[in-house]
Amino acid sequence: MMPRYFHAFAFVALLLAAAPGRAANPLVVEAALDREVVAPLLAAFELAHPDIDLDFLDRSTLEVDERVTGAAPAPDVVISSAMPWQMARVNEGYASRLDSAEARAWPEWAKWRDEVFGFTFEPIVMAYRLDLSRHMMPPATHADLHTLLTEQWDLLRGRVTTYSPSQSGVGYTLFQQDARYTTRFWDLVAAMGNAEAVLEANTRDMLEGISEGRYWLGYNLLGSYAMVWAQEHPEVIVQVPQDYSLVMMRMAFIHRDAPHPAAARQFLDFLLSREGQRVIAGETPLFSVRPDVIGPYTAQRLRDQVGDRLYPIPIDASLLAFVDPQRRDAFMQRWRREFMRR
Amino acid sequence: MIEVDGTLKSRLAVWLSVTVTALGALLLVEAYFSSQRAAERAYDSQLESAALTIAEAVQWQEGQPVVEIPAAALQIIATRHQERVFYAVLDAEGRRVSANLDIPIPAEWRTQVAERPVWTNTEHSGAEWRLHGWEFDSAGWETQDPVQIWVGHTLAGRQALTGELFEGAVSRFLVMVLVAGLLMLLAMRVALKPMRRLRQLLRQREADDMRPLDARVPEELRELAETLDTLFARQRESRDALLRFTADASHQLKTPLSGLQSTSELALKSTRPEEWHRALTAVHQGAERTSRLASQLLSLARLRHVADGSGMNRLDLAALLRETVFDWAGRDVAQGHDLGLAELPDTPLYINGEPWALRELLGNLIDNALRYTPPDSVITLGLVKRGGEVELYIEDDGPGVAPEVMERLHQPFERGGRQDTEGSGLGLAIVDSIARRHDARLKVAPHTPCGLRISVSFPLENRP
Repeated sequence: MMPRYFHAFAFVALLLAAAPGRAANPLVVEAALDREVVAPLLAAFELAHPDIDLDFLDRSTLEVDERVTGAAPAPDVVISSAMPWQMARVNEGYASRLDSAEARAWPEWAKWRDEVFGFTFEPIVMAYRLDLSRHMMPPATHADLHTLLTEQWDLLRGRVTTYSPSQSGVGYTLFQQDARYTTRFWDLVAAMGNAEAVLEANTRDMLEGISEGRYWLGYNLLGSYAMVWAQEHPEVIVQVPQDYSLVMMRMAFIHRDAPHPAAARQFLDFLLSREGQRVIAGETPLFSVRPDVIGPYTAQRLRDQVGDRLYPIPIDASLLAFVDPQRRDAFMQRWRREFMRR
Repeated sequence: MIEVDGTLKSRLAVWLSVTVTALGALLLVEAYFSSQRAAERAYDSQLESAALTIAEAVQWQEGQPVVEIPAAALQIIATRHQERVFYAVLDAEGRRVSANLDIPIPAEWRTQVAERPVWTNTEHSGAEWRLHGWEFDSAGWETQDPVQIWVGHTLAGRQALTGELFEGAVSRFLVMVLVAGLLMLLAMRVALKPMRRLRQLLRQREADDMRPLDARVPEELRELAETLDTLFARQRESRDALLRFTADASHQLKTPLSGLQSTSELALKSTRPEEWHRALTAVHQGAERTSRLASQLLSLARLRHVADGSGMNRLDLAALLRETVFDWAGRDVAQGHDLGLAELPDTPLYINGEPWALRELLGNLIDNALRYTPPDSVITLGLVKRGGEVELYIEDDGPGVAPEVMERLHQPFERGGRQDTEGSGLGLAIVDSIARRHDARLKVAPHTPCGLRISVSFPLENRP
């Protein structure tokens, strides 16, 4: 009896959702996350919550960050890969706490204050074009890359690409984190500058460049995008660095002034739920954080393949240092100095 | 009647729990505040070290302080409780060189910090914050201005730590109460053991065992044991007195009865009627004496055992005395003596008493006086009012008694050291008993120049 009853209810809800003049239960998600990448997850959510009319807005990290403070009405859920900025907004009090079983069960290292949650596990990778391997041994570590850039700089000149730290929040974050691990990172920056590396604003542009043959080698790409790209473009090889590999997490929080807090909670709960994470692991390249989910894209599987050299960017107060203007200025100055050293 | 009024254990338990509750409440309040202080200290020191770490990163560039906020400092501020983080570096003019939130820092705080580190709480963006301000002199090539560092965080960790510490204190306290309660139960058992021992000792005693207790008792039970011993001693005395009385009574009855026996035996051996007559006369007198003795013993026994004062009335002692003395003066036994009454007060003298008992008292006093004084002696009775008492006295000018027996005179079968009279020795004992029933004092004193003066002082009944 119950299932039929439920179906009838769901049907009515669908009718309501489809009815003109918007559903009774809207939900606005501002996200720095490619819609096509995350589409299966959104579809699964809409299927699970037919009564919620999801409005998923895909923007750049900078725009998303602006809309946290500037939008009126405020968005319900904010998702971004610009981890330090997300952290700063949460610290400013823009997030509201998610008090649910899923939130409590979420791994400690992937959340902060139960307000913001890292729900993906995206390795940062190097990608190269097959042409590269004809001329030289492709790099497997950061040191390899440095050696290659130093020794083969004439061959690689203009054919190396990486993030622009000034144009991309993600790129800036990754370089900051790289710099935290070793000071030899600056040698790498200098070597890239020497090789006249081209700075791109996002991973997609880098991948397109590699496919088109403009670039032979890309550094610090989002593994999630690169791996999908490599499946469709056999000329692109993805290499997870063997010495250490950074891992970026998309961070999601419910806005303090969310106009639809109930729907927002349901959305976030779904992201963290086994079902949502199963979709992430099986149908998107974003990698699931949950250890109890099985699929091609899980943190566990990645660890099995790459070993223990995965270093997730920690979700803690240290991220706040990255958005400190003086620190950022100092970092950018040093970056430019090293990059332009020649 | 024995009425059971709770148990000692429950009383001790009630007092214990009252004490524990009162002390416990105080202790817990204290524990709460000390937990709070401990948490404050712990987290304040985190802020302090964070401020130091930031200070370490301050450098001067072109006359301006520049700070590359160390990530570690922020983690120290956030603590493991993931507090929201605030930091601000202010130059000498109060401008923010670097800050992550716009928590206002008033000028007065800034001037305070110049003197000593500041600790304060403030409200910002829907949360309460703990702020710490600290100023230090930083030297550069061009300038040597002080730099202020402000750090702060929200209070969740402090509250959680306070709660944790307080919970610890509470659970320790509860365990302590539990252990104390158990020990108290044990202590009660041990402490009450002497009482159980005493109870067993009493239970095992034979009914006629009147020996003093032979028990080891704690100081608190000494009084009880001693009271019991006194009770036993009194019972022993009263039993001994009873036994003595019974023995004496038997003895007293035996003498006239054996006299009767020997007289009647002699008479039976004789054949002469005049002998019989003489013997019968002797037997008659002996029987009369014996009967009188028996009735006196009876009245003494009755006086001793009918203890309640149900027959007490308000009566005029003067009238009673007058009536009784006139009655006796008319009797044959009084003809050989000068029995008289002293002048009595005009007003009635009321006492609370039993008329029959008082008549018995007077009769015994008069009878004694008649028996123990030689013929023609002067016997005078009278009343003297003394304060709240009225003294009834009888005086004679007979031989009196030796001072050493005067104290024993009111004991049964005491004849004042004389064996020459027909008295039973019970008269004054009866008087004494009756006097006690009336709360009166019996006093035996010599009369000047010779003779004896016996007085009984009754309390006056003033109620109209």
